[in-house]
Amino acid sequence: MGATRREFLEAGAIIGAGAAVAATAAITARLDHRTTDPVGEETVRHIEVLPSVPPSPEEDVLVRMQRDLARAMAKPVEQRRWVMIIDTRKCVGCHACTVGCVAENHLPPGVVYRPVVTEEYGEYPHVQIRFFPRPCMQCDVPPCVPVCPVHATWKRPDGVVVVNYDRCIGCGYCITACPYNARSRDLGEYWLDGAAETETTSELPILGQNAPWEKTPSNEYAKSWDRTKGSPVGNARKCHFCLHRLEVGQLPMCVTTCIGRATYFGDANDPESLVSELMAAPNVIRLLEHLGTEPRVRYLI
Amino acid sequence: MQNEGVRSLGVRVFQALVIVAWVIFAVLGIQGIAERLWYGHHAANYGSYVVWGLWVSAYIYFIGLSAGAFLLSSLIYVFDFKQLENLGRLSLFVAIVTLFMALLSIWFDLGRMERFYNVFLHPNFISIMAWIVWLYSIYTVIMILELWFSLRPELARMQSAAGIKGIVARALAFSRGPLSPEQEKRCLHYLRVLAITGVPLAITFHGGVGALFSTLAARPFWHTPLMPILFLTGALVSGGALMTFIVSAFWKNGDAEYREMLRLLGKVVLGLLIFDVVLEWAEYSIPMWYGVGHEVDLLNKVLFGEFWWVFWIIHLGLGTLIPLLLLVFGGDRPAAVGLAGLLIAVTFMTVRLNIVIPGLIMPHLRGLESAYVHPRLVFHYVPSFFEWKVTFFVVAVGITLFFIGYWLLPLIPAKDKESLHGVA
Amino acid sequence: MENRKDNVTPKRKVTRRGFLAGGALLGSGIMGPVATAGENDRPSRVLNTGRPDAVYPLTNGENIIHSVCLQCNTGCGIKCKIVDGVVTKIDGNPYNPWTLHPHLPYDTPLTEAVLVDGSICPKGQAGLQTAYDPYRLRKVLKRAGKRGENRWITISFEQAVKEICEGGYLFKHVPGEENRYVEGLNSLVALRDPKLSAEMKKDVDAILNEKDHDKKRALVEEFKKKYSEHLDVLIDPDHPDLGPKNNQIVLAWGRLKDGRGDLYKRFAAALGTVNAHGHTTVCQGSLYFTCKAISEQYVGGKFSQGAKFYWQADLDHAEFVLFVGANLFEANYGPPNRAVRITERLVTKEVKIAVVDPRFSKLASKAWKWLPIKPGTDAALAMAVIRWMFEHGRYDARFLSAANLAAAAQIGDPAWSNATWLVACPDGKPGKFVRAADVLVDGVPLRAPEKRRYVDESSKKEVEYEEEFMVVMSQGALKAVDPNDNQEAVFGDLFVDTKLPDGTPAKSALQILKEEAFSRSFEEWCEICGVPPKDVAAVARELTSHGRKSAVDIHRGAAQHTNGFYNVFAWMTVNMLLGNIGAKGGMLRAATYDYKKGAFDLTQHPGKPVAFGISCIRHEIPYEKSTIFEGYPAKRPWYPLSSDVYEEIIPSIGDKYPYPVKALFFYMGAPPYALPAGHTNIAILADVEKLPLFIANDIIVGSASMYADYIFPDLSFLERWEFHGSHPNIPHKVQPIRQPVIAPIPEECSVFGQKVPLSFEAMIFGIAEYLKLPGFGPGGLGSDKKGEPLDLNHPDDFYLRAVANLAWGDQPDGSMAVPDAADREVEIFLKARRHLPQSVFDPARWRRIVGDKLWRKVVYVLNRGGRFEAFEKAFNDTHHTHAFKGLLNIYQEKTATTIHSGTGEPHPGFARYIPVRDYLGREPAELRKDYEFHLITHRVISQTKSRTIADPWLTPLLPENVLLINPRDLTRLGLKSGQQVRIVSATNPQGEWDFKNGTRRTVIAKLHATETIRPGIVSFALGFGHWATGSSDIEIDGHIVRGEARRKAGFHANAVMWVDPALKNTCMLDPVGGSVSFYDTYVRLEPVG
Ligand SMILES: Nc1nc2c(c(=O)[nH]1)N[C@H]1C(S)=C(S)[C@@H](COP(=O)(O)OP(=O)(O)OC[C@H]3O[C@@H](n4cnc5c(=O)[nH]c(N)nc54)[C@H](O)[C@@H]3O)O[C@H]1N2
Ligand SMILES: Nc1nc2c(c(=O)[nH]1)N[C@H]1C(S)=C(S)[C@@H](COP(=O)(O)OP(=O)(O)OC[C@H]3O[C@@H](n4cnc5c(=O)[nH]c(N)nc54)[C@H](O)[C@@H]3O)O[C@H]1N2
Ligand code: SF4
Ligand code: SF4
Ligand code: SF4
Ligand code: SF4
Ligand code: SF4
Ligand SMILES: [Mo]
Repeated sequence: MGATRREFLEAGAIIGAGAAVAATAAITARLDHRTTDPVGEETVRHIEVLPSVPPSPEEDVLVRMQRDLARAMAKPVEQRRWVMIIDTRKCVGCHACTVGCVAENHLPPGVVYRPVVTEEYGEYPHVQIRFFPRPCMQCDVPPCVPVCPVHATWKRPDGVVVVNYDRCIGCGYCITACPYNARSRDLGEYWLDGAAETETTSELPILGQNAPWEKTPSNEYAKSWDRTKGSPVGNARKCHFCLHRLEVGQLPMCVTTCIGRATYFGDANDPESLVSELMAAPNVIRLLEHLGTEPRVRYLI
Repeated sequence: MQNEGVRSLGVRVFQALVIVAWVIFAVLGIQGIAERLWYGHHAANYGSYVVWGLWVSAYIYFIGLSAGAFLLSSLIYVFDFKQLENLGRLSLFVAIVTLFMALLSIWFDLGRMERFYNVFLHPNFISIMAWIVWLYSIYTVIMILELWFSLRPELARMQSAAGIKGIVARALAFSRGPLSPEQEKRCLHYLRVLAITGVPLAITFHGGVGALFSTLAARPFWHTPLMPILFLTGALVSGGALMTFIVSAFWKNGDAEYREMLRLLGKVVLGLLIFDVVLEWAEYSIPMWYGVGHEVDLLNKVLFGEFWWVFWIIHLGLGTLIPLLLLVFGGDRPAAVGLAGLLIAVTFMTVRLNIVIPGLIMPHLRGLESAYVHPRLVFHYVPSFFEWKVTFFVVAVGITLFFIGYWLLPLIPAKDKESLHGVA
Repeated sequence: MENRKDNVTPKRKVTRRGFLAGGALLGSGIMGPVATAGENDRPSRVLNTGRPDAVYPLTNGENIIHSVCLQCNTGCGIKCKIVDGVVTKIDGNPYNPWTLHPHLPYDTPLTEAVLVDGSICPKGQAGLQTAYDPYRLRKVLKRAGKRGENRWITISFEQAVKEICEGGYLFKHVPGEENRYVEGLNSLVALRDPKLSAEMKKDVDAILNEKDHDKKRALVEEFKKKYSEHLDVLIDPDHPDLGPKNNQIVLAWGRLKDGRGDLYKRFAAALGTVNAHGHTTVCQGSLYFTCKAISEQYVGGKFSQGAKFYWQADLDHAEFVLFVGANLFEANYGPPNRAVRITERLVTKEVKIAVVDPRFSKLASKAWKWLPIKPGTDAALAMAVIRWMFEHGRYDARFLSAANLAAAAQIGDPAWSNATWLVACPDGKPGKFVRAADVLVDGVPLRAPEKRRYVDESSKKEVEYEEEFMVVMSQGALKAVDPNDNQEAVFGDLFVDTKLPDGTPAKSALQILKEEAFSRSFEEWCEICGVPPKDVAAVARELTSHGRKSAVDIHRGAAQHTNGFYNVFAWMTVNMLLGNIGAKGGMLRAATYDYKKGAFDLTQHPGKPVAFGISCIRHEIPYEKSTIFEGYPAKRPWYPLSSDVYEEIIPSIGDKYPYPVKALFFYMGAPPYALPAGHTNIAILADVEKLPLFIANDIIVGSASMYADYIFPDLSFLERWEFHGSHPNIPHKVQPIRQPVIAPIPEECSVFGQKVPLSFEAMIFGIAEYLKLPGFGPGGLGSDKKGEPLDLNHPDDFYLRAVANLAWGDQPDGSMAVPDAADREVEIFLKARRHLPQSVFDPARWRRIVGDKLWRKVVYVLNRGGRFEAFEKAFNDTHHTHAFKGLLNIYQEKTATTIHSGTGEPHPGFARYIPVRDYLGREPAELRKDYEFHLITHRVISQTKSRTIADPWLTPLLPENVLLINPRDLTRLGLKSGQQVRIVSATNPQGEWDFKNGTRRTVIAKLHATETIRPGIVSFALGFGHWATGSSDIEIDGHIVRGEARRKAGFHANAVMWVDPALKNTCMLDPVGGSVSFYDTYVRLEPVG
């Protein structure tokens, strides 16, 4: 004799109740748009950029954008809308941005926030090369965010998608969710692994593995991360528009070190900003537009 | 008694196989796990682009086995499947063990293992991953309760047994005396309610594992609504196959009942296998028909790429065709059925690998690999030996747990228990 | 909590500390930020998590030192950000025109500038990894095995110095060298007496200048008699022109910059050797030496004072630039400063560019036209362009017609050319310029010679001479020209083909050029260089459509050939025809502030002997003048027109020509790796008989230093001083200063009673002290303006005074001095150096060296990483403020009167296409047979020779180099992309490096198919395939230090490059400009595996 009607009903009740709870949880989660980020007054920063140097139309766009940045930082975070525009016509494929970012954010081997992709096409002698730097797109509909089981990654009011290294369990789900491959897995490696190994413990007249740069803490998210002590080792990592530099009035690293001045950065909510001027150009594209991720990074081609 | 001879030879071989595997896996596995705990992920071959590798594949594989075994047990309890009646507890137990193996696999994959509890402290109920973790937890509770209710009458009886078995039985029975028929009935009642409850749960979470993949718009290979269904049938085939093999190897002698059971199991597995193949065919043939697009490139890679043999030889040959033949032509030979079960169950791992890995090896943006070159930033993946060792560890743990349960708990009616050469 | 940087004004409450810092600023008289530190409890707020927020330490001036990168020779200004004494981040120095465009005004307060980062390339970013390379040496190493075996022991600094100076059986512990006696420096510094040496030099000069053979011999005999008591100081008394034994000490270098350069040359001078040679010719010798020849001035009746320099295009203003063999976005001098000047202008179409390169470079990707030239035929392409310009009348006739200073002044040009000057062409062959004094019109000279005086370059003394004047045809009539006359402007007719009154044919320089250009049809020229004529015509048209805002920017691709001199000459001639030299939008040259004079005269060298004699590379002297002249070919090439001939340093030692060398110092150079056919150098370096004593200065064990007897560890670029100087593409007058940023990695030692880190300087000072060489130690720098002695006991004694000179400025009265640093700036200066040990930074000592008066100015300059002219100052309306002034030689008399030592033929004095040739003037048809691919080489942004492979951050950008090959060639050969091939050539048929230590390495390359290279050409990137430099195991004190496999990746094909078939132990070379040939070899690709 199989299960009775009663048993089915009881089980059904349990399942129903469970489903109801689950649905409530799911719906509440969907509807919950509260931010845990600092907002309002406490995020306002008054930064003076080169007060002794009068602004001029001839100044380096880096300085111009830094002045723009200071204006944006004087507003509360929720009124800023960071965007990045990369002019592929000006990009010379130098990878300074890539390495600048690696250095600034103390990225270990196997982790990269901004690779520069080279495209080669045509046939000799009609050939062409083009370069596409790829930071995080800071998507307005970021597929990487909802998948995180522990709320360790989210989109800030200024649009930057961040990771809380202290919360992240390193499951890698968000990494698989990003169509741009803009997230990396920090597997705890060191750049000097394997260099200058010796069989002796006695001191040799070389510097050896005492090279200290690798163990100094990184400043991501305006906190201090000593990778010898844990996170961000094991975490998902991604470009964060160098929030820690914005905080102090500096442009993202990849912007300041762009030797082709191909990377623009600023507040799209500020009509006076350089990025606002550029965003309207007819030759603006976004990557993988069809996926509906609404990237914040645009390209001029 | 030709049949008997074949059967017991089969049993011996099967058991020897399990034990040898256990020893080897335990030795290598302990090495692997020490490495994992000491050096972290250093020796692993997955990275930032192919984020998930062997362990995640192993995880969905074991989860599938668990779901399959569990659904089998529910089938038995809910529909009171007489011929398989005695298989219920064992299936439940195997479902628990394989679930544990699955969780262990995925736990080792975490970047920060010590923080897994964050899923409970800070769950994000939009994340399917959070959901399935919660569902596993409920599922685990249900299974344990079910197992307890199913063992309860037997445990009560076993309390008087000597040695560890008695101690265990007393502990699990809370030293309460033998149950009255009333009580036994109540146990069965709870058991059935739980079993019914468990069915949608198992379907949900295993479908959920499918959904974990299929909801990722970023991964065209996974992003197919068929995925949850595929996961489910896969679970049933592989779980059923595993149980078939276990029965063939760990069930006592070849009486008619035993043979009948295996014949039946064989049929069920055969049916599921055919269904699974049909689904797979649909999944592969539709995109291939037009021959354009992202998925085609991927399927091409799976079918004709560097690892073509994984699909053709291991999955299709060893895991599908040979079992199919064994089941069709040797359906009433226990050894054949058992072997078919073993082949399907083991090779199903390749199906899992062929879901996880291809989904990650073809990016939307081309050229990333040469933009910044590092072994962790490649769209190519072969598990390292270290990864295998960790998976061996998981398997060894699984076998150990199985033996412990097999030995200490009344999972199988006493009369059906095969003496284990060298173990029990 | 000094970490809060000075620019952020927090929203709320200004704390006490804020006031303090603000106060310091106000005190300095600069209206800085209202307040600085504050809100200490909440420095930043990005994430609300349990982890506390932390202060970002990298914008605090107290953690910043501005210096100069040396990851490549571009020398970008850097801002080094230091945390707890460790450089953790390097960015661009915003005061420096390399990294910000425009750069910040020099008077921008440091507290404001720290917030602004300039841009630098990836190598620059990774520079800290070079400094912290695990293989960095900390002690002096002495060879324990055979040369090159890489077995070492450590010894003390004192012992090393003693052994080197005293000599002896220094390597008796090495099998085979038990009985080898090594002569020490002490005995080699044979001639020390300043007076005696000066006198000898004079007499040797007389011998050299004597043209008659017998009289020459007689002079030698006389010399021997006169100095009979001192003959032992000479290398060879029968050839006193070889100079004293001191010349057997050779000081060589790879990358040496000013400051250190001054000390090295001071060391050479103190040792009394003429042999101090750099690496220019491996780099782009012919670019420098052609421009030197173009810039020779007519002074004292002869051509001299040519400067070793070159011009590059003004990318800020040019409307069209033709880049020739210039790899702007990956190499050159250099990507950060050049890219920033052009990318925006390319997008706005203010400038258009074309690229001449067999390889489609990143630069070509931004070009309107790419001309994929056949390597080695640049002059042919230039001749096509020149012919086109003449045919279409598109050249700057006005500029070209100006024949002297006054004429140039009249038309507002800083320079003028000799285009119109007449050249005597007896037998139709252009020779010397016609001299007015020699042209007799009716028996009367066109202009009578005049007695005049001029200041001789070498002796710095006024000398009397007879001026004979040049001649032009002016509106059909002969006219004398006084080239440097600023009164009477002379304009000449451009194209003149005439006969002088005495019947001698004479042509204007331009006429000679024109005839050369017309010696082939336009199509023939294009055919030679393999570029479609219509493209060449289009480029020529564009080039000549922008007036002077059009330029040809040349680099190694044109220069590093056996015909490099004439390739460069031809392209520079195009520039001269455009009249763009010194013009805004035309060709620029570098301008630097002088650090040697001002507050202190650092050129003083009391008591030094006068060095004389033929250098071991035989430069700046014609073969014919020497007493070892034996007819043609000379045993090895002579270089009257160039210097720093790298490829001749070691091979000449190998041949002991012109004399054996006893001791070689090598600083920061790796000729085995860097030179084409560098393997030939290895065989010599490894031979103790040919080179008895070899001392290297290196930061690690490199591919040259691995053969050394002693290696003195050096300071990296982040630990040392240098004055990097400038490049021709930087329009501003500058002097970037490299200064100590981090504590030295090597151990300390002491010299002249002072603690110094083991270093290049320590090596020099230690030896100078031991040998009691003049010019070092107490009073070594002469005296100051008040007559007080200036000591040179510590390298800082030189460097800081040099900084003081920069602070003082160009005007003797100090009117160009920089301001004093404000209090807060001084405070920042001191705190930023808090991690440096006393041997490096001792504020009291530093202040004492420069004196109280200059101290704050020195701080001001150092805080800004050098001295930089204001952005607006670089150009006036039409010209570069620092434009080249003077005569430009479209026709080079000096060149035309020197003789090729291999062929005995005179060198042409005008632009000309000369095919690739060996030392004996033969075209290498034999070497090409059966070798169908033309091998060239190029740089990638991520690597620099032997300096950057240490940097793991750069590896992911390109972990190994590949051999670029066109897919058509692959298909034709049936090869596949990714396949491995061995590269072999006629002079290295095995394609092998023999390291002479029992190991060899075959040049095996991975093919990479790409449409970006001309079919028939294969190219490889520089900087890979290392065998030393941390890539191989070495043994020190009996312990093995394992090499890092990453550094071996890829291949280095220099060994396959042609060895000159006549010289046999060096590469093919340019007999005029000295350039080595990097792009002329033919190879075969043999599949392996
Ligand atoms: N990344 C990096 N940057 C560097 C350096 C470095 O090592 N690495 N080194 C610095 C130094 S020392 C120097 S000298 C400069 C060199 O700077 P460049 O001279 O600009 O750099 P190379 O890559 O040597 O450029 C040679 C170019 O000439 C091309 N070429 C080859 N043969 C021919 C030919 O026959 N004709 C023409 N027209 N072109 C030809 C090559 O394809 C290549 O593009 O770079 C400096 N900057
Ligand atoms: N295939 C190919 N070869 C080339 C070129 C090319 O384009 N292709 N380019 C050529 C050019 S342009 C040049 S300029 C030459 C350069 O040739 P070199 O001047 O000979 O080479 P570098 O690599 O700069 O010199 C490096 C040596 O200095 C040591 N070193 C590094 N840093 C320091 C330091 O701080 N102090 C001291 N004391 N030593 C140090 C290194 O260990 C190494 O031994 O290479 C040439 N070689
Ligand atoms: S680019 Fe990727 S990581 Fe960045 S926001 Fe979008 S989905 Fe997320
Ligand atoms: S890796 Fe970290 S951030 Fe990404 S989904 Fe997992 S827990 Fe969230
Ligand atoms: S914004 Fe910052 S984190 Fe993002 S790529 Fe640029 S440097 Fe890296
Ligand atoms: S730094 Fe700028 S120019 Fe260089 S690769 Fe990055 S975006 Fe392109
Ligand atoms: S170009 Fe790069 S490596 Fe060269 S000096 Fe500048 S920053 Fe340094
Ligand atoms: Mo160079």
